[in-house]
Amino acid sequence: MSEPILEMTDVSKRYRTAGGFGRGRKGFLAVDGVSLHVERGEALGLVGESGSGKSTLARMANGLVVPTSGTVRTDGQDVARLGRRGLRRLRRNVAMVFQDPLASLNPLQTVRQTLENVFRAHGETTSTAELVALLESVGLGADYLGRYPHEASGGQLQRVAVARALALKPDLIIADEPTSALDVSVRAQILNLLADLQRDQGISFLHVSHDLAVIRLYSDRVAVMQRGRIVETGPSDEIFRSPQHPCTRALVEATPEAELPA
Amino acid sequence: MPDPVLQVEDLCVSFTSGGVTADVVRDLSMRLDGGRTLAVVGESGSGKTITGRAIMRLLPRGASARGRIVVAGREMLSADERELRRARGSDVAMVFQDSMSALSPYLDIGAHIAQAVRLHDPSVTRRAARARAVEMLDRVGIPGPADAVRRFPHEFSGGMRQRAVIAMALVNRPALLIADEPTTALDVTVQAQILALLRELQQEYGMAMLLISHDFGVVGSAADDVLVLYAGRQAEYGSLRDIFDHPAHPYTAGLRAATPRLDARLDTGGERTRLRAIPGAPTSLRDAGPGCAFAPRCGLADQVGERCVVEAPLPTVRPTSEGGGLHLAACHLDRLPATQEVAR
Repeated sequence: MSEPILEMTDVSKRYRTAGGFGRGRKGFLAVDGVSLHVERGEALGLVGESGSGKSTLARMANGLVVPTSGTVRTDGQDVARLGRRGLRRLRRNVAMVFQDPLASLNPLQTVRQTLENVFRAHGETTSTAELVALLESVGLGADYLGRYPHEASGGQLQRVAVARALALKPDLIIADEPTSALDVSVRAQILNLLADLQRDQGISFLHVSHDLAVIRLYSDRVAVMQRGRIVETGPSDEIFRSPQHPCTRALVEATPEAELPA
Repeated sequence: MPDPVLQVEDLCVSFTSGGVTADVVRDLSMRLDGGRTLAVVGESGSGKTITGRAIMRLLPRGASARGRIVVAGREMLSADERELRRARGSDVAMVFQDSMSALSPYLDIGAHIAQAVRLHDPSVTRRAARARAVEMLDRVGIPGPADAVRRFPHEFSGGMRQRAVIAMALVNRPALLIADEPTTALDVTVQAQILALLRELQQEYGMAMLLISHDFGVVGSAADDVLVLYAGRQAEYGSLRDIFDHPAHPYTAGLRAATPRLDARLDTGGERTRLRAIPGAPTSLRDAGPGCAFAPRCGLADQVGERCVVEAPLPTVRPTSEGGGLHLAACHLDRLPATQEVAR
């Protein structure tokens, strides 16, 4: 079996807090000795409440957050040992999609400029035909190339953000609450798009979300986080059919159902 | 039949900017009795938030409302400022999504609640109002209320802040509570607690609740009746059961199909299921044509043809399930096909 696309071993992250204010002088332990892996082609869902450390953990996968201890191996490389160039190469391979596309896209740049910048940052050139093909792969027409972020809807912008993530053909996409800011009717479009990318292009996903129902449908495996630790992990159906840890159970029970009692 | 706590008839809300006036809400009617919860469901541009604000007469500058709004017997649209001040807080109160912006960072929690008490009844002494605040914080489940009144909003967690806001809204026992996405910013476990608290207080006080939400999950666990809005118009109205089990509008059915469910009955046996998305994006009344605003996204519009594009459908009576009450849908189709090809 091939090596996992992402392998974290006993990673911790302690944030320093200013002058003993807040969580005390020792700082705040956001991630506490977590081990986790994402197989190639797999979608791993990371769920937990706010402050559980899920975003911090996800950001360690591509070196955006440097762990205080432990090792992160992404695509077979020890992230801590990569220099600036190495990190840059790594980030070609590990793309990110964030919650709010309006915040993650430059309002002063057209979609064309935004996409071209990705290629430029990695010393590559691109053609209009390539950019159009890229937009088409996320269900947008060529006319979007000339648009600015304020000229598109939230769902269309999130498609642009996905196109940007796909530009350099990554093996792993870290999606941090990618549909939380979208309308219900549009959310399903983006989730289906991400599922198609996984199925058709074999891209692996680390999907961070607070929404258990979304994670259940769109992840192969689930890891549940609570106060910086992973408290339960397993195949998606199994976790939600018979949650073992009290934290998972509490989350499952608290999730309101769009369903009348049988 | 007792007089409803809230009655809205043919409400239109319009915005004027640069000399141009455009409706954002059109011909909305609803009726809500004490002790009942009506959920107003919609997406961006549906007009759900502006409807809640119209009822409070808290419209932003440039917006105006026509039609009729009666809250606890008071005509809200013709009321003067003095009457409105009396109505707000006593007859109708509001809870918003973002509790931080509903509270002043400079005042302690007790001052917020005491202020609400004394605005309502100036004869109450400061000391007595403060005592009411402690009582109310205790009622909404804030531990150590005598100490909590002296705390400032930033010292509370999001869930505790929302409890404090609820205490402030309900301290004068309003007949109607408008809750605009009251749990959207909260974690699910906290959300469940807040919804349970609202239900409990509603039963105790017998108040009517207008729950504005985008989330069918929240609606399913809190509402008696549901009003689905699309682009400023009523798409469907009915009991929770009718809306969930027998939707008569393609948009309602589409929203349900696009909502992920955790339900164990949906066990997929390891197979990955997909949600059925509605193509396109929600629109607003301003951008809608003369026909049905949903027609461009509707998988059934072809079956009806031209009519969907040229004529906006009016709400008509639909069949109800047992004990269902009034069921209305604004669609040219008389009934939805059994297996709904709702999305294109």
